[in-house]
Amino acid sequence: MTVESRLLEIFRSVFANDHLVIHDSTTAGDVPGWDSLAHINLMFSIENEFGVRFTDDQLMSFADVGELRRFLESRTQVA
Amino acid sequence: MTAPVGLMRDDDVRDALDRARALADTGDATGALHLAFRAIDADATLATWLAAAGVARRCLPAADLPRSARVAVLGSYTTTQFAALLPVAAARAGVAVEVYEAGYDQYQREILDPGSGLYRFHPDIVVLAVHHGTVSLPARPADPAAADAAVDAEVERFRGLWDALATRCEARVVQHTVAIPADVALGHVAARLPTSRLAMLRRFNAALGRAAGSTVAVVDCERLAALVGAESWFDARYWHRAKQAVSLGCVPLLARHTGAVIAGLLGRGRKCLVLDLDNTLWGGVLGEDGLTGIALGAGPVGEAFTAFQEYVLELQERGVVLAVCSKNNRADALEAFARHPDMRLRTEDIAVLSAGWDDKPTQIRDIAETLHLGLDALVFVDDNPAERAIVRRMLPEVDVVELPEDPHGYVRALASYPYFETGAITAVDRSRTAQYQALARAAELRGDAGDLDAFLRDLDMTATVVPLDELTIPRVTQLINKTNQFNVTGRRRGEPEVRTLAADPDVLTVCVRLTDRFGDHGLVGVLAARVSGPMVDIDTWLLSCRVIGRSLEDEMLGLLVEAARQRGARTLRGTYHPSPKNGLVADLYPRLGFERTGEDEAPSTTWRLALDQAKPPPGFIRLAPTP
Repeated sequence: MTVESRLLEIFRSVFANDHLVIHDSTTAGDVPGWDSLAHINLMFSIENEFGVRFTDDQLMSFADVGELRRFLESRTQVA
Repeated sequence: MTAPVGLMRDDDVRDALDRARALADTGDATGALHLAFRAIDADATLATWLAAAGVARRCLPAADLPRSARVAVLGSYTTTQFAALLPVAAARAGVAVEVYEAGYDQYQREILDPGSGLYRFHPDIVVLAVHHGTVSLPARPADPAAADAAVDAEVERFRGLWDALATRCEARVVQHTVAIPADVALGHVAARLPTSRLAMLRRFNAALGRAAGSTVAVVDCERLAALVGAESWFDARYWHRAKQAVSLGCVPLLARHTGAVIAGLLGRGRKCLVLDLDNTLWGGVLGEDGLTGIALGAGPVGEAFTAFQEYVLELQERGVVLAVCSKNNRADALEAFARHPDMRLRTEDIAVLSAGWDDKPTQIRDIAETLHLGLDALVFVDDNPAERAIVRRMLPEVDVVELPEDPHGYVRALASYPYFETGAITAVDRSRTAQYQALARAAELRGDAGDLDAFLRDLDMTATVVPLDELTIPRVTQLINKTNQFNVTGRRRGEPEVRTLAADPDVLTVCVRLTDRFGDHGLVGVLAARVSGPMVDIDTWLLSCRVIGRSLEDEMLGLLVEAARQRGARTLRGTYHPSPKNGLVADLYPRLGFERTGEDEAPSTTWRLALDQAKPPPGFIRLAPTP
């Protein structure tokens, strides 16, 4: 599966919404329920799925889904 | 990582969730829940559980579960994820729950305050979700006796809370023991020193369990953490960031077990274990290999089956009824029980022995009828995936435990199945418990936790007022922008605006740090007010949620009153601006002696306090001199 589809799966699980659609430009403001708690659930689940660990800065700093996706792609290519 | 109840591949879990959501869309609540349960049985990851919790949220109102209960979650750490997963965990165990979650670290206050949200909720069950950090123990007790006394005092504190709950409501208590961190500077010496925190926490858990006896149910987090390993249970990053004392990867496991214990308390624990014979209780096929050919007792494979039988026997001793469901000649099966020297299970241990050539769903229905049990009291164990599949399909009420192919894994597979929990225990166990309780009662002569005032005094709180300056502006800005609950005006401000406030000579600020006997909470309270002649208008007033219910707001008001008096003002004026989350402070002003002015601009309300009418604060918090 691509990074993109794995990410989508996690988003749909965490937000319990299987109709959720995300794009590279998606930010927290675009997704209903994406508050600080959901953010933590999301980042933890992404770490778990991709076997990565975000730094403290990264946990709060991805500007949008595209930046997150590119980061995960760079990590999964190394691995 | 966490031992699954059922074995499924990741793709199958995803497929079960997809189908659950699709069924939910069609309105088949029962079918959707069943698939969601399959997914969480097989997979303990947070994402899977959050997805299943979403299905449960949609389907529970329309589903017909055997029991329902109102469950209050009172925690010492961030329990939001736990509380969010508890409904699906309890539903899996047969109980539809409505959850009330107390604020962060509010468990004592909620129990000791008769007017708290807890009591207004009228809970049937109260879950005390606490972690090791809330156990207040001296860092270096003088001697082992002092360590023991400190541990006893903490157990007494919890007993006092249970007693307070018992006098104020009918709820049953589910108490979590505390997982014990394994990062120990003392190393192996800690195990030898009764005064080490490690040793004291171990004693605390043991004494807490003993004090719980037969009246309070326990979820043993120490054992759950041992199951997955302390390195998995504790995650410093999420503790520091979100005060998550249980790693998010382990919250599903904790929810699963808490749900199982709640179901047990309500009499919904599973009562009967239905066992296959060939390749389940022994290796090989009796009808082909003969009595001397089956693997049991001798050799590594035989030992695996013996160990499994011994585990099943322990389940029987704790009250689980055993039945056999086998495709075999009945006479052959009986002979194996009677004559094989290494059989641990005997025919007298088996309530119903069904061996024949009917399909297994038919046999299992007969077993249930014979025992006068519902199908939803049965658990089926069979090495054959096809038999498991047909039972699952034909009898969805029966729980089916997934066995691994390797018989060495049978014990663990059954041990990680948590739904045999019972609230009541046998008569023999009860009398043994009563003896322990008599011993424990002796310790009760010490005073109990008592009322809310005593609790607040006992916290040993000190507040320090700090200036609003370069050092504190970032934290104050953060509080202004993220505090939702205790925030009377809901005003948000960026750092430049906060800087302007700080520089304005007509703005009075009260920024406070708070420490208590559990540690330093940091800068947690902000109050800013503008002086215009005799009037002082409150601009911003907020408290971090970790210190709500500590009377800190009373002290902050006292400080503002003093500052306003020094400026020659005569009246304080404050507005409450309601938001979806700040109902907590709707009655803040009247509680503190303010009177409604009638200058309201709906939906806000405006309140006044004449400075010469202001009452002194209650004094539960010591004021330290400003550094």
